[in-house]
Amino acid sequence: MRLQPDTRTGLLVALPFVAFIGLFLLYPTIAIIYSAFTPGDDFTLAGLGRALSGSYRQGFINSTALAATTALIGGVLGLTLAAVMRTLDRPRWLHSTLDSWSAVASQLGGVPLAFAFIAAIGTQGILTKLFNQIGININDFGVSPTGFWGLVVVYLYFQIPLMFLVSLPALNGLRRTWREAAALMGASGVRYWIRVGIPILTPAALGGMLLLFVNSFAAYATAYVLNPGGALVPLQIRFLLQGNVISGEEDLGYAIVTWVITLLLASLFLLTYLQRRTLRWTNA
Amino acid sequence: MKRALKWTFLGTLAAFFIVPLLAMARFAFQSVPVVLLTPETALQGWSIDPIIAAAREPQMWSASRTSILLAVFTIALTLLLLIPLAVVTEIRAPRLRPLLTALTLLPWVVPPIALVVGVAVTFRTGAPWFLASVFSLVPFYALWAMPFTYRALDAGLQAINARTLYEAARSMGAPLPVIVARIILPNMTASIVAAAALTTALVLGEFAFASLLLKETLPTFMVNFQQSQARAGLALALVVLLLTAVAISLVVRVLRRRGLTVQTTGL
Repeated sequence: MRLQPDTRTGLLVALPFVAFIGLFLLYPTIAIIYSAFTPGDDFTLAGLGRALSGSYRQGFINSTALAATTALIGGVLGLTLAAVMRTLDRPRWLHSTLDSWSAVASQLGGVPLAFAFIAAIGTQGILTKLFNQIGININDFGVSPTGFWGLVVVYLYFQIPLMFLVSLPALNGLRRTWREAAALMGASGVRYWIRVGIPILTPAALGGMLLLFVNSFAAYATAYVLNPGGALVPLQIRFLLQGNVISGEEDLGYAIVTWVITLLLASLFLLTYLQRRTLRWTNA
Repeated sequence: MKRALKWTFLGTLAAFFIVPLLAMARFAFQSVPVVLLTPETALQGWSIDPIIAAAREPQMWSASRTSILLAVFTIALTLLLLIPLAVVTEIRAPRLRPLLTALTLLPWVVPPIALVVGVAVTFRTGAPWFLASVFSLVPFYALWAMPFTYRALDAGLQAINARTLYEAARSMGAPLPVIVARIILPNMTASIVAAAALTTALVLGEFAFASLLLKETLPTFMVNFQQSQARAGLALALVVLLLTAVAISLVVRVLRRRGLTVQTTGL
């Protein structure tokens, strides 16, 4: 069999990639899903049902609430930050500093971030003490490293920079000429944003928020360091994986992971769809 | 008024980013308990001993070495896999680009905490020898870096109009390997560096997978170390965070000076 040179080059670059994805991503993933449907070697949906009941149901509710809240707040703040930065030409150092800081903060976060917030809003935290002196106990508002709003605050530390990074290209897609055209026709700044800016940015902004949702739903390091026993899905997976329970519970782990994968896959489908809508404007 | 609003917003966010780091620095480098902290004691008890204590820890150096080697190998593997794929797709089969864009997002569907379960079912039972070395983390780290790295490389290819360059070189008779090595790659320096920087940040920060596979990398060491030596652990974490940020911003600045814009964008 003789192959066209093009086909040969194609195969040469595609095969290692396909093999890589297949071996390290698809094979373990399919193994999890298969095990989730066949605990004890028989096909059953019981495991998947149990993974959504009792304390595990609470885990999914907590994780979803946390992910959605931080995606929404982080999304709005990150987008605003990107929009404000675009209107500022100077100081120039601010742009490069923010760019690199965001790259680091959105990825490296994890462990050091949790430490920083323990020092700030933990029981011995300096902010806790500061607020105590003016008579406010921030723990009463759930702002402690183990409380819901405390976790929201901590997660925002990496969510805002991530949103900033992903919304820059979309914002750069807004032509200055559109704004000038709107101004020529007598539209005020606010009116321009309501009628032109926001509608064009919406798919990109929603896409970015979905990414933030996925990002914080799966975040493990920060939550683990702050409160290893917390009722969040990633922490429950760890608990089951480390065999801290009676044997046979691994099946429950597979079922939970299967649900996580399903949820994230659905978010990602929506994300790709929104991105296609975004490209309509940014590539025109 | 509008200016004031903008700067208030930026100032508040800056405070949000900086205050926890300052709190961390205070806890690490000042030995005055929070309860006794008053304006009079605010300047007392500062010392850099905690970071020296961390630097004296031989395990810290071996964990750092492991993490840096992991970053280097992950970058190498990522670039070897993705550069040929991105280049050939762009110049020979641009119709396949959307497919590749979607495929490279897949690692996000199976985050470390989920994939580690799959690895436990498959590799741990079927090929335990593979997980024996700490460098078995490399392919998985390359996987999670892929959504970022592929986009950085693809953005670079789009920015230099790779297809036009290819056609121009082709019409003058250059074969594909020469075009890639002498024309396309040199023009992609900025996006290759961006991909490498993002990969480094990811590898130096990844905790879940390494911790659950019981590998000692810098992040897993930091958590254990902090439990035994609270202040030195915090000092170390702060230094690692800041050093990485400074290193990445220096790289970005050097590239900017050479007229190359770096997109550290994930998507």
